[in-house]
Amino acid sequence: MPETAHVQVSHLTKRFGGVTAVDDVTFDVPKGAFATLLGPSGCGKTTTLRVIAGFYDPDAGDIRIGGRRVNDLPAHRRGTAMVFQDYALFPHMTVRDNVAYGLRVARVKANERDRRVNETLAFVGLQGMGERWPNQLSGGQQQRVAVARALVIEPQVLLLDEPLSNLDAKLREQLRVELRTMQRRLGMTFVYVTHDQEEALSLSDWIAVMNQGRVEQAGDPWEIYYHPRTAFLADFVGAVNLVPARVTELADGAVTVTFGPHRAAVRRPRETALSVGQDVRLCVRPESFTIAAAGAVPNGITLSGSVARRAFLGDTMRYWVKVDDREWIVDQPDPGAGAPLDGPVSLSLRPERVHVIPD
Amino acid sequence: MRSLRREPALLLALLAVIVLVLLFVVYPQVQVGVAPGFSGYLSFLEGGTWRIPLQNSLKVTALSTTTAVLLGFVYAYAMVYSQMRWKAFFNLIGILPLLSPPFVVAASYLLLFGNRGIITYGVFGQSPNPYGITGIWGVQTIAFFPFAYQLIADVLSRSDARMEQAARNLGASPWRVFWTVTLPLSRPGLAAAILTTAIYVLEDFGNPQLLGGLVTVLPTQAYSLISGFGDYTSAAAVCTILLLLALGLYVAKIRLDGGRSFVTISGRASSMPRPPVPAALSWACFVGCLALAGLILLVYGTLLVSALTFAFPYNLRLTIEHFQYVATGSNGDALRNTLFFSAAAAAISAVFALFAGWLVQRGEWPGRRLLDFLLIMPAAIPGIFFGIGYLTAFNQPWLDWVDRSWLIVLALVFWNIPVGYQAAAAGLRQIDRSIEEAATSLGASKLRGFWDVVRPMLGGSLRVGFVTTFVRAVTTLSLVIFLFTPPTTVATIRIYQLVNDLDWGGAAAFTVADISLAIVALVVFAFLARGRLVLGAARA
Repeated sequence: MPETAHVQVSHLTKRFGGVTAVDDVTFDVPKGAFATLLGPSGCGKTTTLRVIAGFYDPDAGDIRIGGRRVNDLPAHRRGTAMVFQDYALFPHMTVRDNVAYGLRVARVKANERDRRVNETLAFVGLQGMGERWPNQLSGGQQQRVAVARALVIEPQVLLLDEPLSNLDAKLREQLRVELRTMQRRLGMTFVYVTHDQEEALSLSDWIAVMNQGRVEQAGDPWEIYYHPRTAFLADFVGAVNLVPARVTELADGAVTVTFGPHRAAVRRPRETALSVGQDVRLCVRPESFTIAAAGAVPNGITLSGSVARRAFLGDTMRYWVKVDDREWIVDQPDPGAGAPLDGPVSLSLRPERVHVIPD
Repeated sequence: MRSLRREPALLLALLAVIVLVLLFVVYPQVQVGVAPGFSGYLSFLEGGTWRIPLQNSLKVTALSTTTAVLLGFVYAYAMVYSQMRWKAFFNLIGILPLLSPPFVVAASYLLLFGNRGIITYGVFGQSPNPYGITGIWGVQTIAFFPFAYQLIADVLSRSDARMEQAARNLGASPWRVFWTVTLPLSRPGLAAAILTTAIYVLEDFGNPQLLGGLVTVLPTQAYSLISGFGDYTSAAAVCTILLLLALGLYVAKIRLDGGRSFVTISGRASSMPRPPVPAALSWACFVGCLALAGLILLVYGTLLVSALTFAFPYNLRLTIEHFQYVATGSNGDALRNTLFFSAAAAAISAVFALFAGWLVQRGEWPGRRLLDFLLIMPAAIPGIFFGIGYLTAFNQPWLDWVDRSWLIVLALVFWNIPVGYQAAAAGLRQIDRSIEEAATSLGASKLRGFWDVVRPMLGGSLRVGFVTTFVRAVTTLSLVIFLFTPPTTVATIRIYQLVNDLDWGGAAAFTVADISLAIVALVVFAFLARGRLVLGAARA
């Protein structure tokens, strides 16, 4: 990934009345990255995006794009095209006129304008649709027009505000792949806002998870998913088992914890300071377990329990397994490979799959 | 505010709008308000000449509003709820009075019931005195019930049919549904409609002027103080009393309906039909509407016949003499002035109001609430007050080089600003901000975004503003009565003069010509506008 910071947000604060929507947020987006602001509704992610776009003035902090401070530039001079949640297509213009709009404003000559519009329409798979009106298009097609309209002006940064949230699940997944491919081919910096963690994980080079106006953690999707720094993060991004435990021993690269009657040595997180006797939580993803009928050969950490409930999710079977007085969520891949489990089961878990979060 | 500093063009445009509003809305009104001075007000109030007109104004307003609203309610209920026949016809008849100056009802009344009226004298051989409170009451009832009907029908048609269906579904009778669901839900709207009708009646100048006889109301007192005695100070004081009353009614109305006006909210047809009313009720509605439509037709029919005959009702030979008279010389000029002034005022007012509406509704700068108020306020200002304001402020020797037509056009523009402004505000509420932001993020300045995106999408608001302003301009008498000069006379002034001269044929023909002019202009406009209606509206 290229390393130069392209969009820099430093100490950004934005208040609405008495409410602090964005609270001292700082992050850098590398050039050419697909960056995502992820968080529950009201966490400040859209506000941050709109401050970058210039639709809101920050109360404090700076926005830099390509090293240049843009706080005092009006929105239309920032080179940040935006794709809106509801697409915001101009209803009184055809698809072609919608896409050509930005070029017209920039006074691009007619023949070059036509060429670029045609290229971009082809790029998003809408060749031959130029003469349609927005209300004659399906949701997915409208979304492509919105992307084409923003891409055609070759912005420095493309801002996307939950562009897929109005589409049905199947289409969302398909367009996700297309967006990712497009961004790779163009090498353009994308800043993407979503509340959908799956979307964020599958699209992004870099994710900032926001909560209550602050960035809780930023990093690559792998880091965010497997090594969340707080319980909120672990819980927000995907299903997770969060189990109270206590640190009993610290070693180089390993930490020994007790939870209930169990004791296990697990990976010691690099970025958090731990001390013996500290209360922590163990963060274990449901798919990290191996589940088998009771009596299977132990492997790593082994817990025995019994199936309380189960839900068939298609690609996985999700079990709630009661171990001592606590239920663990356990996912079993490819459930069709055998009969569903019932009664006593044993769970095994490799120690490095356990992540420790300070309580 | 910061966004304004970053876009100087936008700031300039805003300043221009503010200056124009201060100059043409605020300044003339302040001129009238302060003209009498403190001692002037004091001695005027002590003089007490205002007491009787004030009482008369209040009495007439209370009486006429009550009856006009009752009749309007019957008509509106029948149109919205019943399954009566001939609805299209009744609808058409209900629009006709909106296109004519309200005071022609008085002219028609004198022809029918005056001391030489067709009915009073011709049929019964009586010569009653038609002048006085009763005459004003009757005429204003007929003149303003169609306005009340439009207001009330709008309120009723906006009530949610699903609620009524739900009530019926729970076992309530149609009667019970009306009293327990429909009426409570539309009560604020109905109250606002009543207050609006009251403002129309309170500000009415033509009818009391023609029928008052010795009875004076506030607008006619102000007029006679100026035209009879040249007493601007007292007239200004009278006007201020009138304005305070109108403002009071208007503020109460805004409290009730949040400033919505019947012209701006197009009653969106609910997808669900209303529950049917009993057949007998539909028939009763039909009979009621037939009677009311008959009254309206009687008013305009009388004028039409009078316009087409030599000396109605004594000599009923057909003639086009009156129309020739209307078409010639200064009369023709007056008609042409009406057309040009109204069209120019409507176009300027609609465009200006749209732009100002966008600046106020979408802007973020201090003081926009004040500008919002100033743009709505003229709706509460009686025409006679507005006219005197322009007279005081701009009828100055140092402005003699300006063509006096502009005085009338500007008065029409700014008196009607609320119409277009509220239409624009309602239209903007339908447009998501993100559409404008899309234009901005693609490199268009805010002004450019307004022009490329907002303006074309607000075509509907623009047309509402234009048409309503045009109609109000064609039909107003009180606004222009102090502003016209011989070369800038308009149709309503000539009609008023001809009625005063008892030239019934001429007055009637002029009225017919004026109404026809309005209708033809609107039809042409509708035809021209249709070409622009193909917008692929509404996002999916």
